[in-house]
Amino acid sequence: MIEVPEMIAESGGTTLDLCYQCGTCSGTCPWNLVRDFRVRDILTRAQLGLEGYEGEDLWMCATCNACVDRCPQGVEIVDLVRTIRMLIAETGAAPKTLRAVLGSVQSNGNPWSGDAEARMGWAQGQPVRLFDGTPEYAFFTCCTQAYDPRNAKVIRATAKVLDAGGVSYGFVGGGEWCCGDAVRKTGAETGFGRLAAHNIGVLNDLGVRRLLVPSPHCLNTFKKEYPDLGGKWEVTHVVELLRDLVRGGRLALKNAVPAKAVYHDPCYLGRNNGVYDAPRDVLHAVPGLELMEFARTREEAVCCGGGGGRLWMEAPVEERFAVLKLREAVAMGADTVVTACPYCISMFEDAKTALGLDQVRVADVVEIVAEALQAH
Amino acid sequence: MEPRIGVFVCHCGTNIAGVVDVRRVAEAAAAWPDVVYATEYKFMCSDPGQGMVKDAIVKHNLTRVVVAACSPRMHEPTFRKACAMAGLNPYLFEMANIREHCSWVHEDKEAATLKAIDIVRTSVAKARLLEPLQARVVSVTPKVLVVGGGVAGIQAALDIANAGTKVVLVERSQSIGGHMAQLDKTFPTLDCSACILTPKMVQVAQHPNIDLMTWSEVESVEGFVGNFKVKIRRKARYVDEATCTSCGVCLEKCPKKVPSEFDEGMMTRKSIFRSFPQAVPGKPVIDKESCTYFKNGKCKICEIFCEPKAIRWDDEDRVVEESVGAIIVATGMGLIDPHGLGQWGYGRFPNVLTGLEFERLNNATGPTGGRITCKDGSTPKSVAILHCVGSRDRNHKEYCSRVCCMYALKFAHLIKEKTHATVYNFYIDMRCFGKGYEEFYNRLLHEGVKFIRGKAAYVTNQALTDEETGHLVVSAESTTLGQVLRVPVDMVILASAVAPQKDAEAVARLFGMGRSPDGFFMEKHPKLEPFSTATDGVYLAGSCQSPKDIPDTVAHGAAAASTAMSLISRGTVEVEAAVAEVLTDSCSGCKICQDVCPYGALSFHADTRVAEINGSVCKGCGTCVATCPSGAIVGRHFNDRQILAQIDAAFLW
Amino acid sequence: MSHEFEPRIVVLCCNWCTYAGADLAGTSRMKYAPNVRLVRVMCSGRVDPSFVLRAFQDGADGVLIAGCHPGDCHYINGNLKTLRRYPALETLIAQFGIEPDRMRLEWISAAEGDVFVHVVNEMTEQVRALGPLDWKRRTAMTVPAAESHTAG
Repeated sequence: MIEVPEMIAESGGTTLDLCYQCGTCSGTCPWNLVRDFRVRDILTRAQLGLEGYEGEDLWMCATCNACVDRCPQGVEIVDLVRTIRMLIAETGAAPKTLRAVLGSVQSNGNPWSGDAEARMGWAQGQPVRLFDGTPEYAFFTCCTQAYDPRNAKVIRATAKVLDAGGVSYGFVGGGEWCCGDAVRKTGAETGFGRLAAHNIGVLNDLGVRRLLVPSPHCLNTFKKEYPDLGGKWEVTHVVELLRDLVRGGRLALKNAVPAKAVYHDPCYLGRNNGVYDAPRDVLHAVPGLELMEFARTREEAVCCGGGGGRLWMEAPVEERFAVLKLREAVAMGADTVVTACPYCISMFEDAKTALGLDQVRVADVVEIVAEALQAH
Repeated sequence: MEPRIGVFVCHCGTNIAGVVDVRRVAEAAAAWPDVVYATEYKFMCSDPGQGMVKDAIVKHNLTRVVVAACSPRMHEPTFRKACAMAGLNPYLFEMANIREHCSWVHEDKEAATLKAIDIVRTSVAKARLLEPLQARVVSVTPKVLVVGGGVAGIQAALDIANAGTKVVLVERSQSIGGHMAQLDKTFPTLDCSACILTPKMVQVAQHPNIDLMTWSEVESVEGFVGNFKVKIRRKARYVDEATCTSCGVCLEKCPKKVPSEFDEGMMTRKSIFRSFPQAVPGKPVIDKESCTYFKNGKCKICEIFCEPKAIRWDDEDRVVEESVGAIIVATGMGLIDPHGLGQWGYGRFPNVLTGLEFERLNNATGPTGGRITCKDGSTPKSVAILHCVGSRDRNHKEYCSRVCCMYALKFAHLIKEKTHATVYNFYIDMRCFGKGYEEFYNRLLHEGVKFIRGKAAYVTNQALTDEETGHLVVSAESTTLGQVLRVPVDMVILASAVAPQKDAEAVARLFGMGRSPDGFFMEKHPKLEPFSTATDGVYLAGSCQSPKDIPDTVAHGAAAASTAMSLISRGTVEVEAAVAEVLTDSCSGCKICQDVCPYGALSFHADTRVAEINGSVCKGCGTCVATCPSGAIVGRHFNDRQILAQIDAAFLW
Repeated sequence: MSHEFEPRIVVLCCNWCTYAGADLAGTSRMKYAPNVRLVRVMCSGRVDPSFVLRAFQDGADGVLIAGCHPGDCHYINGNLKTLRRYPALETLIAQFGIEPDRMRLEWISAAEGDVFVHVVNEMTEQVRALGPLDWKRRTAMTVPAAESHTAG
């Protein structure tokens, strides 16, 4: 029998005590746009030391952080959910689909059952510069970009844009493993520790000082979780660097990219790291592109549904946040959804397929920029 | 003669004795040089405790007394008085703080007892070197400055004036009345706010003992308890008050409209204006910032239509000086900026209002003449009132704003009465603690107002169903039902948090007050002296101290007035004897002390070529003492020998 | 009894802000290291550099000077005089070979009981890490005795 409150307190979840049951978390949670889910129930059970986390409810939270931002008592809800997942997972109650993913992480160093040796396969044999300690930035590839064919296009576009901007960088080059964000959020703390230790070793051995990342999830993990474990680098998301390049006149965005584009804020870029303006500044600089906003945007933005391990879990079409958002985009007359996160790209591409919306384009900011750079 | 020191160690029930071994402390003290008597007792501050001190002074011929108990900020005056009653100069008393600084902050009993012994030894070391001082008695200027003309300031001013003492009431806006004048009805009695307030406002204007200065601000405060000198900036009104007949023609004719502060920007006023129809004084002022004439030199329409010829274009700001014995700060409260509360839709959706905006909407003198309507003029069929918007929220204000639950109930009643709309209250806890408040809540339950126990998470106009289309939707979990609800409504009222006034920091500095962590002005004691400040002679009234409803504000104003009056009636006050003194023989005349004295108490005597100190201006900070390169200034009661002796005794080195 | 070194820290604090802040820590029943002894002056501006040296000379391992926040001084600006004097004091103790971390100047208001607790705990650990000062053994030099300053 697990003494849940004590275990949570040991795991640092002391803010749980402060919950005064106002329900702001449940009322804020995007799940309730599509189905019933009350995160407060999880907290109340933990507070009272009650058992009975039924079914897969505990793994529904997409860790979008909207409730944490709004909680009037400063309860670290996502951390608590992660801790409770960890405790429950120890009893072997983690969802089956996640077990396969975690198994792949364990054996391949990535969640996509991809061959570890093939991590640089996205380059399709084209020469790319590997980081050898001399360039300014080391580029840490996201697993999802390395192994998912759709996202591999984004990383190829990224290489092109960075080259055009004259950025001094090199790819870490295949030795890296998954940053471990989703692994940790599903409750697999040991697995996360193993990934982090490996990556810290690899990056420190390479003499990395500044890290460039394409995924907001990598950004958040490297910035907020690795430092405690000995990994301390200056971490920049690609879109932040792009903004600086555009501002500094180092990227000539001359070609029109005619699009009515709506920007979707990735939770781990916006809410978690406060990067709201950089992607918008870049998009504003693209000729021919009209930038639109979702009704709930920036701090209020609704999640794509892919965080916290949800990327690998199934939800009926009508219960997918990305479907909801895609419909909103179409209703407002947008023809393109732009974002800056591999998970968001996957979730929106899936939603597009599910809805059969061939006319809508899902794109990363980098892809738009690459197009604006192309010569006719 | 060697000093004869008595040491009295207090148990404070178990507050001290529960952690500190008080007997050991007394025994340790008994062994020190010059300590001729040492004992411990349950409550030193009690009558028998004070009696012990008095008896021991006589019986053991004590020439110094040390009481080891609570903070001197608490009971130093008590024991000084007890000493004086037994014939000992009160400045020969010293207090050792072994409660706030020891038993309450440590758990290890051994460490706490050793520390308590050190603290008492430090006090004994100082006591040994204490010198008798005579408190100076100065007269009190029989006049009180009241700052702020809301209901707190009005109450305080009237109480003092009715007691026969002169009052200067300073208000920065055009009229007195404050927030209460903006309200339509008051809870829980539902009596008309203006109807009960305006008679008091008129009394203020007519009272022979009250000098009312609106459109004015306090600029500087000097002096000390009983003898403050205050400079007040009387802003140019451009309307001669003696000549103006308050006919109001200028208000109609002035072509320049600006948003009305009184109406929360929901209506306009003119550049020549009075805040509201029942304003006191009723004579308008010209707001120079917006006036067309002051902007481009043309217009003067008000002057053309002013029959009694009261417009004065050459009017200027005047700074007047007043001498007062006491100051009552009644500067009131502000509201949190609702623009920072994005999730609840303020500023994005026109039918999301703050509580004060709704007050104006509902008021007969407001933008709709008191009809409750949406921005498009339609009558709302459903209204949501969101409690705790910015209150009880670590992202904004951590405290409870104290008035919202009740005004939310009042709003609910008025909305029901006027529109028959369905009213939803989204609340965390209903806090109906005052007289008649719980009864009012019951009445509202009877009236069919809906209460949803859950804080509103956000307001959106994004419909998910046909039922929601065209409405504002409030998302909240009903925590009693265990279900997240989406409630479509036509209007949302935010019970937005009460906040300190935006310039509270500057005002605190002006009057030498502190602020508590919530940003409101800090009282001397949260229970026993909520109307006094750490600065003698400066008192607090109303919601500048903490959020208050009207009954509490009025009571607070009256309390501040009576405290000020007891000072005024006494006519004299003892002021700090612990001030600086110049040793003329040692003074080199370098004048450095003059530069460092914050009060200009030091001057250079042209004939004797040495520094001279004005004892009634000096407040005893000791900065000059620490600065004087010749050691020629003594800080009485905190002299170098005393302080060094304390340092020497701080530990058993 | 443990033989761990327990630092001895003298706090020279003003009556209006820091002393009251320490009172608030007490009334709020916050807990902090029992290594400090407070000596109250009316204003931090009263803190004569000789007080600090005397404390070190007596055997203190650390000295904390604490007063009102700039702008909040009960005596208008006495604390600013302290602030102005402080760099000279820092230079002085450095000349005596005393580590800079053994002396601190902090602004702690009457509302900041938590800050008082934090500063005391932090400084206690800071000084504990430095070990005993042992002034007398470190320097043969003696500070001008207080008696020569009895005028004050």
